[in-house]
Amino acid sequence: MATEQELHQGLYEAVVDMDEDRAAELARQVVAEGYDAYAAIEDGLSRGMDKVGELYEQEEYFIPELLLCSDAMYAGIDILKPHIVRQENSERHVVVIGVVEGDTHDIGKNLVKIMLESAGFEVIDLGRDIKPQAFLQAAKEYEAEIIALSTLMTTAMPAMKEVIDLLEEKQLRENYKVVIGGGPISPGFAKKIKADAYAVNAAEAARIAKELVGLEEKVRQTA
Amino acid sequence: MNELSPKERLDRVLAGKTVDRPPVICPGGMMNSATTDVMDECGLFFPEVHKSAADMARLSTAVQQRTGFENFGIPYCMTVEAEILGSEIDFGNHDCEPKIAKEYYAHSADVIQRDPKELVKEGRIAAIAEAGFAISRQQPDIPVIGSLTGPVSTAASIVDPMVFLKELRKDKENAHRVLDYVTDFLIEYARVLVDSGFSVITIADPTATGEILGPKMFGDYAVPYLNKLLDAIHAMDTKAIVHICGRLDAVKKPLSAIRGDAISTDAMVNLLDIKEVRDGGVVMGNVSTFALQLQTPDVIQQVTERLVNNKIDIISPACGLSTKTPVQNIAAMTGTVKYS
Repeated sequence: MATEQELHQGLYEAVVDMDEDRAAELARQVVAEGYDAYAAIEDGLSRGMDKVGELYEQEEYFIPELLLCSDAMYAGIDILKPHIVRQENSERHVVVIGVVEGDTHDIGKNLVKIMLESAGFEVIDLGRDIKPQAFLQAAKEYEAEIIALSTLMTTAMPAMKEVIDLLEEKQLRENYKVVIGGGPISPGFAKKIKADAYAVNAAEAARIAKELVGLEEKVRQTA
Repeated sequence: MNELSPKERLDRVLAGKTVDRPPVICPGGMMNSATTDVMDECGLFFPEVHKSAADMARLSTAVQQRTGFENFGIPYCMTVEAEILGSEIDFGNHDCEPKIAKEYYAHSADVIQRDPKELVKEGRIAAIAEAGFAISRQQPDIPVIGSLTGPVSTAASIVDPMVFLKELRKDKENAHRVLDYVTDFLIEYARVLVDSGFSVITIADPTATGEILGPKMFGDYAVPYLNKLLDAIHAMDTKAIVHICGRLDAVKKPLSAIRGDAISTDAMVNLLDIKEVRDGGVVMGNVSTFALQLQTPDVIQQVTERLVNNKIDIISPACGLSTKTPVQNIAAMTGTVKYS
């Protein structure tokens, strides 16, 4: 019989080893043993994905590996999620994410979504080739704190500015933090269009998002 | 000394022979050089031109004259192959090249193989071949370059790319099967182009980067199929340029195994490093496309001069040009190479 700690470690390893079946099996054990589902996600799956993010930044893992690790993470989360005991006052942090209008390259956006979800964010994924207005609508509807914009194409970069301009025009700019990223994007461009932050890759996007909503501090306190 | 024609100059460079100065080219495809400035002037526009041989011939001629590039480059996008293999194409608009709207297959295992010789009769290939044929007859001294989408990028344009990337690990057998199939199709496509008077083939494979795949998979999947395609093109007595996107630090070693006659790279790559890795092989590039879009002609001149002074073999944009790139900036680039 596995202890809770052993199961957490097993989930961590299943994610890092890209083992979707093992992650699912261990998640079912967590449920069967009556252990805390949230702790299993946090200390097992999510911690595993943090490690994966590290391996990615160290160029040990590349995109295929990152995607397979995230499949393992989601396989576990799908089983554990219905068993999370939600506290009434538990904090929700919502990010609305999408590839801006004029671009359909969404691998980068999907990676950011994965890292945000593993960091505990609720992510509303609008998909690709998204009109400025759709970002505003979704942000309002889901009470988002962050709007995350991605593009791989220089031709779609002006569409990022359009989202921010529209926020200003509707006097909603103060309501949201806007994070941008993607192949052609630079910190300079982020500053120029008055985005709140630029993220160089998916792992950093998750770190920045935590900082922007004040989650990072909280994690450190409880750790 | 200006005795060499643009075609002779490019042929000589690709054969490793001496020339008076580097050619300055833009191959088309991912590196489309039909910008809105030129389209406005000649009255032929995206997306209508993509399907008409006569319009492509006229537009490419106008592009060549206005930009000063020493080649014609067709097509203007990377969707010709995927369209024929079943994916849904969004043909874009005035400013934007066609793109993949939806990949046809969910998994590599689903891909149905058809006869490549039949496939090349479909879609826009006949129009592209006809346009190239017409231009090569009108302007025999200027090379017509045919641009192919590389094997990994084509595969990831017909199978959902997120799934395909995972299947490079999870379903190797089918991933290889799809890559082999699309490579066979690309070979037949290249043959149609070569038979129609295209004198050089460029292969751009933006999904097959070191940053996306890492060195192991780049070596396992990108290199062998590129080489299969390159060997077949060489057997047609034709030279081929390979463009690799992104940073190359992770894949320098496998890079040396690619049998392209020239390697073209993105702007952040030092082409002299690549030349060294490839034992002095021909390198092409890499004027920043951001600079071309956003800077002034004098900055473009400086960037281009630096490449010429570094003895880069072929001068070209580093990546896909924005269609909004001012034609003055492109002319500054080509003029700098020709008259410096």
